[in-house]
Amino acid sequence: MKPLDEQDHYEVLEVTPGAAFEDIERAYRLTRAAYTDGSMALYSIFNRDDAAVIRSRIDEAYRVLTDPQDRARYDAEAGIADRHAEAATPTATRPIDAFPLEVDCEESEARTLPAELPSAIEVIDDPDADIDEETSDFDGAALRRARLRRGVELDQISDVTKVSVKYLRCIEEEDFERLPASVYVRGFVTAYARAIGLDARRVSTSYMERVEAAREQPQRRLRSSSR
Amino acid sequence: MNPRVEGQQTAATPAVNSGARVISVGGGKGGVGKSFMVANLATCLARAGYRVIVVDCDLEGANLHTVVGAHAPVSSLADFVAQRVDDLGKLVFDTPIEGLQLIAGTHANLSDAQPTHLRRVRLMRALRRLQADFVILDLGAGVHSAVLDYFLVADDGLVVCSPEPTSVENAYTFLRAAFYRRMRLAMVGHGVRKLVTTAMDQRNEHGLRTPLDLLREIEAIDSADGARFVQTMREFRPRVVINNVRTAEDIKLGFAVCSVCRKYFGIDAEYLGYVNQDDDVRLSVASRKPLVEYRPKSDASIYLQRIARKLAGGRPSSFQAAAPNRVASPSGAPTPAAGSPTA
Ligand SMILES: Nc1ncnc2c1ncn2[C@@H]1O[C@H](COP(=O)(O)OP(=O)(O)O)[C@@H](O)[C@H]1O
Ligand SMILES: [Mg+2]
Repeated sequence: MKPLDEQDHYEVLEVTPGAAFEDIERAYRLTRAAYTDGSMALYSIFNRDDAAVIRSRIDEAYRVLTDPQDRARYDAEAGIADRHAEAATPTATRPIDAFPLEVDCEESEARTLPAELPSAIEVIDDPDADIDEETSDFDGAALRRARLRRGVELDQISDVTKVSVKYLRCIEEEDFERLPASVYVRGFVTAYARAIGLDARRVSTSYMERVEAAREQPQRRLRSSSR
Repeated sequence: MNPRVEGQQTAATPAVNSGARVISVGGGKGGVGKSFMVANLATCLARAGYRVIVVDCDLEGANLHTVVGAHAPVSSLADFVAQRVDDLGKLVFDTPIEGLQLIAGTHANLSDAQPTHLRRVRLMRALRRLQADFVILDLGAGVHSAVLDYFLVADDGLVVCSPEPTSVENAYTFLRAAFYRRMRLAMVGHGVRKLVTTAMDQRNEHGLRTPLDLLREIEAIDSADGARFVQTMREFRPRVVINNVRTAEDIKLGFAVCSVCRKYFGIDAEYLGYVNQDDDVRLSVASRKPLVEYRPKSDASIYLQRIARKLAGGRPSSFQAAAPNRVASPSGAPTPAAGSPTA
């Protein structure tokens, strides 16, 4: 580990020289947030000047490494050429997964859809969370876990999906009585899942089963709704 | 509830115990959830088929017995520390949870001396020889050298932190103290010793600002000794757990803390996981059951199981013919009709 002034751009962003575009994006968002003014994580360790220096190094690293030409030039100068040859094209497995309804679309077209948050990437490496997301049914709590793991707040999802925070919260809390007709709920859930890079079709199918099951018992719902 | 006598296991006991894996849970501030974390992670591991012993090393606020649902202890770690009991195995008690045992802590008598470094070394050896797959230490608050030694000797040292400035500050204070303690214990060669002393000096004549600067300086001066020393320090790999999270922002704190550790200490801290703040924790304590037993399907329980699985790392149990179960199932799988779990 070298001190900041001797670290190269990859070390500053805490990525490997082979890092794909997505990894660099993710690392940038997370590290940049870590060193913003007033970040709790700096408290009692780095003062404002230190943090400003670190931020400017992070910005510079991001600028260079996300510009293919600058990155290639930088790598050549720093003697790290070819170290990321295999990562030249964005891997993008998750974003593609997120658009099962556009199975016939070209990758590039799918990627122009606006409904996905840029930060739909995990804050924390957790293979078990991956397994949970790949194998389990999606209830409201599972959606919330998937969202939090990506470091995404409800209002951010609301911004890209245009679904109100109130409804998004009802979805997570499975407060079905406050949600509108099922056809809308399906749309909301699909938008939510897409926004955080989940398999929208699988999520909405399993979530809607729960909605329908609950709504098929009107008597009970009515009684319990008098709060 | 009888103390289990060491050496009484029969067929299940392997000829050679490869040594228990020791996990310590610290992090400075009281009330951040160290005991909660110990009890619940231990329960997850026990449920997965491992033999687990939790040890209450918090001599001031010993309450782990309550958190795991055991009775007030008749003997405790203090008896070993004060040399009233020589065999640590005699202090091991069963708990209501199968596969989970406890060495309790009690408020040390005022007459009990703090354990010397030598006695601590003896205790640590005894801990590793306990008949268990995992021995999990609940450290007290603060940065007493005894606390730091228990933290440093463990195979995994967890730092528990809440998303509050005071807690983060305490976590750093703890990590800094642990870092320098490790440094002291690992010091070799006078050149290194002098530099470390310099760094500890507030005035910082050499312009050393961070522990990372210090390591660099040491690397630069000496050859073999310095390199070995720096290597030892690099292997210091604390694991960060953020407890009581409420928002996505809180979850990102763990990432940020680890990044700061890298840029400030030059150590490779790992973000092990997070656990949300859950009002049912209070009810689970009142019912004297760990949360993962009381509400196994809750988000908090699922997060705890993820952390436990990372800690287990697929390790085989030395006490069973069969491999342990995977630490719970991917428990994000709720049964569709069941709704949220009810008591
Ligand atoms: N994730 C959580 N959600 C809600 N309450 C919690 C959580 N973690 C811990 N607590 C509660 O906070 C209090 C302090 O926790 P404890 O484990 O005793 O802290 P420590 O051992 O670090 O002093 C306890 O009442 C505990 O039940
Ligand atoms: Mg405690």
